[in-house]
Formats: sequence, C-alpha cells, structure tokens
Amino acid sequence: MSIVKLLLVDDEARFVETLSKRLTARGFDVAGALSGPQALDLLRDRPFDVVLLDVWMPGMDGLEVLKEIRRLHPSVRVVLVSGNASITAAVEGIRLGATDYLLKPVEIDDVLAKVEEAFEKKRIEEDAADRSR
Amino acid sequence: MKDIRASNLWRPDGPPDVRRAVWASVAPPLMFVGLIVILTAGAATSSRGRLATLLVVACAASAAAAAWVSVRLVTHLRAVVRQRDAFYQEFARLSKLASLGEASCSIAHDLNNPLAIMNEEAGWLQDLLNSTDTDPEVTRREFVGSVEQLQIQIGRCREIARRLLTWTRDPEEPSGQVDINTLLTKTLYLVETELVATGVRVVKHLDTGLPLVMGSAAELRQVLLHLMKNALDAMKGTGGRLTITTARAGDAVRATIADSGSGIRPEMVARIFEPFVTTKGEEHGTGLGLTISLWIVQRIGGRIDVESTPGTGSAFHVTLPTAAPGTGPAPNGGTS
Repeated sequence: MSIVKLLLVDDEARFVETLSKRLTARGFDVAGALSGPQALDLLRDRPFDVVLLDVWMPGMDGLEVLKEIRRLHPSVRVVLVSGNASITAAVEGIRLGATDYLLKPVEIDDVLAKVEEAFEKKRIEEDAADRSR
Repeated sequence: MKDIRASNLWRPDGPPDVRRAVWASVAPPLMFVGLIVILTAGAATSSRGRLATLLVVACAASAAAAAWVSVRLVTHLRAVVRQRDAFYQEFARLSKLASLGEASCSIAHDLNNPLAIMNEEAGWLQDLLNSTDTDPEVTRREFVGSVEQLQIQIGRCREIARRLLTWTRDPEEPSGQVDINTLLTKTLYLVETELVATGVRVVKHLDTGLPLVMGSAAELRQVLLHLMKNALDAMKGTGGRLTITTARAGDAVRATIADSGSGIRPEMVARIFEPFVTTKGEEHGTGLGLTISLWIVQRIGGRIDVESTPGTGSAFHVTLPTAAPGTGPAPNGGTS
C-alpha cells in the first residue's frame, strides 16, 4: 500500500507543525500550508491524495479554497476541519464536495480514520476510472 | 397634524408633539363657536332671537363633538407611541441577546484554536513518551518546545476568558456615567474575530481628556457594536480601515466610527434611520439596528449624524451629552 500524501492547511502555524510531526510519525507523507493560496500553489506543484482544510481562515476562506480544489484537482479528497461548534459550514462544505469533516480540537484517531477513509474512496474512484478506460 | 402622520410615528425622532396636535384640532372649532356666539349675541336682541339661540346650540354641539373626537384621537396616538417605545425597548433587549449569541459563537471558535494546538502538543508529548528509539537530546528539545507552546496557548485562552468577562460583567444600570474611550476599546474586543478574519485595520484617535458621558454602558455598547458591525459589513471583502475617533463637541462628546467601505447612496442616507429600511438584503439585516441605535441615543439627549460618500466610505458621528459635573467619579464608568 502506497504512502498517503497529505496536505494540512491551517492559519495556525503551530497546529500545522505539531500535527504534521504526529502524522509523519504515523507513516504519512505530510506537507503544510498556512493559507488558501499557499495550499493551491502546493497542489499545483505536486500531487496529494487528501487535504485537511481549516474552514475559517483570514483572507481566503476555507470554503472558497475547497471550491478551487474541487475545480482544479477533482481527484483530491478534502476533509474539512472546523473550529466552530456550529456545523453549518461543514454541511455547506459537504455540499461543495468535501468528503468529511472534523471538529477542533481533533482526536488523532479520528484524523487517521477519516484520512484513511478519504484515501480509500480516492483509490476506489481511480480504480473504477482505470477499469472503465 | 403634520407631525403625527403614521409614517413619522415609527421614526424614533422623539414622540410626536401631542399637545400641539390637540390645540391644532380643538382650537378651530372653538374659535368658530366663539365667532358664532358673538355674531348671534348681536342678533339675539331682535325678533329672530330664538332661531339665533338654536344656531348657537347647534354649533356648540358640533364643535364639542369635534373636540371630543380629537381628544380620542390624541389619546389613541399616545397609546401607539407607548407601544412603539415598548417595542423598541424589547427589540433592543432581543438584539442584545442575539449579539451575545453571536459573540459566544466567535469566542468558541477563538477558544478552539488554542485548544486544538494544546491538544496536539499534549498528544506529541505522549507520542514521545511512547517511542523508544529517539535520541534523548532530540526528545528533550521537543519536550521543551511543546511545554513552551502549551504555556503560550494557555495565555491565549486566558485572554479570551478575559474578553468574555468584559461582556457579561456589565452592570445593568438604566443610566450612569460612561467613559466612552474605555467602552469603545472594549466593544472592539467583540468584533476582533471579524477584524482578523477580514483583515481590516483599526485606527484609533482617542482624546484621553474627555469627560464622562450620560447613558447606560450596556445600551451604548450596543449602539457602538452595531455601528462597528455595519462598518465591517460595508467593507466586506475589501480589507479596509476602521477609524475610531473621540473628541469634544462643544459641551458634548463625539464618537465617530468611520469605514473605508462601499458608502451609502445619497438617496438612502436620508432613509437609513427609518425602521425596516436596510441595504443588506432581508437575510442579513432587520432594518431596525440603526433605528434602535438612534432611539437609544436620542432618549439620553444625544444624536447620530451620518456622512457618506459612495465608494469612499461612511462616518457615523454619535454625539452624547456629558454627565452632570460634580456627581463624583463614575459608578460604572466604562464598566471597568
């Protein structure tokens, strides 16, 4: 099984840093971005399987970033991370094509489960696409 | 009767002048009766005296009926004005609750960010304790870094708790003496999340030598908060600058909240204080925020003036009377 290539997007630098360390220690290939535009730059430069995306960021809002990712990189799976107890944004995110969402503070086991699941969905989708070719 | 047209009744520009309305409606019939009495008094000496007396009685009766209807109308208008004030009072209370709800939502979000970091740091420390194959020097460095982060994030949580307390601790005094500078600074805390999220820069020009102003801190904060939120809405997505200025204005104190946003069209400027007039669309505005703000400010003898240039921005000047001198230090000055 190939290593999951994961992109963490959050304006809280230390959150990105420490969660990256923990996920790297668990065998993921992790990169971090501190803003929407930075994330889109990284996605343009190299392939990712799953993006963990903060919903509420200054400047470019998470949902806008989500729309761009769905438009430019439809095969990449997005899991939203919301710091807000209200799930309105999460519901809107799912409607816009996010695979799942997590509430901050996140439990590492939930992160692992949701990322694995998103990765699995992406693989099944790609296999189906290959077979139909 | 011009002052008590129904459309004006809902404007918070003070209750209509009821006494003048009474005179306006009662005086003409009374004057008419007087005229008839004088005219017929002369005629009564003649043989047609009985007819003249009948005429006087008829006129007096119709004038009395007109006066009675006028008094009824005025009583009714008074009741309507009372109902209007009760409605505004209730709406002011409800919108305060609503902004408390909004504030708690943004505070929860603000709190979750440091908590999420603390959660990761604690998890990372756990990871380090569980791993066996790391260099002890590296582990020590990681420990120091994480503990330091925990302390930083605890500091953030503490700051948020402090902000929350400034909101809830306010005494609910009907009126008192308020330090407008402190109140403005504390009200700014409540829009801090939006300020950061929208990238709006705050410029403060506060005159530190100002006297205290009249009013209740809770009510005035609602006015200021509403004006700040309007300013942020006007700058939606453009970054921009929120300028907060305080200065003396003769005997009064003036607080100005100015934005570099979209501005208000000239034909709208005259109407924005009217109830149910909103430029934000029905989903976002009730059209009552400015109406209530003006109502609150006018009740304590102040005023709100607007300057706006479409495309450049708007400035709302809140002029407030100063608290009576010699009443000692503020009991709830700025609610500190």
